[in-house]
Amino acid sequence: MKNVRLLGYIFILPAVLAMIMVHIIPMGWGILISFKDLTIRNIRNWQEAPWCGLKNYIKAFNPVTTVGQRFLRSLQNILVYGVVTISVGFFIALGVALLLNKPFVGRTLVRGIILIPYITPDSVAYNFWRFIFQSRIGILNEMLLRIGIIQEPIMWLVGRNTIWAVIIASIWKGWPLTSLMLLAGLQTIPMELYEAAKIDGASAWQCFKYITLSYLKPVIKTIMIMNILWNFHAYNQFVVLFGENVGIHAEVPNTLIMREAFENYNYGQGSALSVILMLMMLTITIVYLYVFRAQRDE
Amino acid sequence: MNRRTPIQNFFFYLIIIILLLFVLGPYAWMISSSFKTAVEIQGMRPTWIPQTFTFDNYVQMNTTVPILRYFKNSIIISTGTMLAALIIGTLAAYGISRFNFWGRELYIVVLMATQMLPGILFVIPYFMMFKWITDTFGLPMTNTFHGLIFTYTSFALPFSILMLRNYLDSVPRSIDEQALIDGCNRFQALYKVIIPLAKPGLAAMGIYAFIMGWNEILFAKILTSTKTRTIALGLLQYISQHQARWGQMMAACVFATIPIIIAFTAFQKQIVAGLVAGATKG
Repeated sequence: MKNVRLLGYIFILPAVLAMIMVHIIPMGWGILISFKDLTIRNIRNWQEAPWCGLKNYIKAFNPVTTVGQRFLRSLQNILVYGVVTISVGFFIALGVALLLNKPFVGRTLVRGIILIPYITPDSVAYNFWRFIFQSRIGILNEMLLRIGIIQEPIMWLVGRNTIWAVIIASIWKGWPLTSLMLLAGLQTIPMELYEAAKIDGASAWQCFKYITLSYLKPVIKTIMIMNILWNFHAYNQFVVLFGENVGIHAEVPNTLIMREAFENYNYGQGSALSVILMLMMLTITIVYLYVFRAQRDE
Repeated sequence: MNRRTPIQNFFFYLIIIILLLFVLGPYAWMISSSFKTAVEIQGMRPTWIPQTFTFDNYVQMNTTVPILRYFKNSIIISTGTMLAALIIGTLAAYGISRFNFWGRELYIVVLMATQMLPGILFVIPYFMMFKWITDTFGLPMTNTFHGLIFTYTSFALPFSILMLRNYLDSVPRSIDEQALIDGCNRFQALYKVIIPLAKPGLAAMGIYAFIMGWNEILFAKILTSTKTRTIALGLLQYISQHQARWGQMMAACVFATIPIIIAFTAFQKQIVAGLVAGATKG
């Protein structure tokens, strides 16, 4: 028996070692330097960089400092981005999943096609969206002008509209995966339930609410927490659509941290911001799991 | 379920068509633009169909940006990541699936938790760690293939292990036991019996790691430069402050999508099954 147990350790050993090296140590390192005043001047001898206590953390939440102001705004932006992208994406995904759950000619083909945005590499997808959003030579403005929704070309990639541009592109890229998962959930629902409900005189809405939604609940729960966390990871879409200069209206924590660390060379400050981001994600996950567990017990 | 009336049917298919236009429209724009001349892109009102059809963009995309080299770099890095993740991940997934050791549950929780950590948390430490390794051991890390493969493998591992473990759990343990009785040791049982049975699961995991390597931007941005730059970053170089070569960029985009499309169509079933399993069991 003992031997068998030992073997288990041998099998996971390479993965454990790899993860200690690439997750645990760097994470500790990151937390450590977030308490240091680490800049371009002392990056080579990072051990000798002066400790600065909570200075980097306090600065992050102080709206008087440049960093604080930017960080708070980036949180505001990611909140708007996340709420709109996730909710709109979810409703499109749910609608399409319900549609694709019905039999029709060419269903398999359509199901394959809707997955294409999901498998397209981020850099490719957001690059062609960047082209679509061009104000003069892009196809989106051209179509909107033709239909007559707008009179003047919209500047999508500069100024106020940047956040909407990135939201549109992200929804387009993100909903297929959600839809696929919902569809998988829908297919686990036994058809007899609907038939029984119909005999009992349930309306279509009641069927949806009490059968479909209650069966989908676990899947939706997973999808939501995954989407919320991914939303905080969002980086590719911003850097591809806007290049180096994201601009204040679409600045999010990740782009801000990258700039703070690798353009302003404030590595300590950048680390502090990423630790704060991690703590936020952790809190959200715990609260989320707690709320759902509480619901289940009722 | 109910039969649809002709009118319902009409609206049903109308919605499907609108949906397909929404999904495929951007690709049509990408492909059509890749065949347009620069003059047409810059000078005329945009149209869906090129007025003069040209292959120039495909011919010239490599002169503006060394996209073929970046493509080769990405192939090396993604394939390396895939192989490393497959080897380490299979061992770990087999370990979790077949053995009951102290700390197993904890290890699974850690695997799930690491997926939640923001990548940005690791960028600065990696940047420093790579410098430190080079300074201390004289081993170059930044701007090397092995540096990036190492980074990507570690980030692909947690999800890969969990995904493959789900798969291995569905392979009955009695098969292992039979192999052990027939005189295999554990490693032989894994190598000769379980791996051939787990091919679909392995395919899903390998493709997942490959696509991750192909797509990644955050770390590639900091840890590579001209020699090892990946295609994901290379695509951005068509737009400079002086000139925007949209036609060539769209041609390069088409080019960069090909390996992913091939990989996906070849293993569509496994990938979809793997993703769905991750979602419904998690």
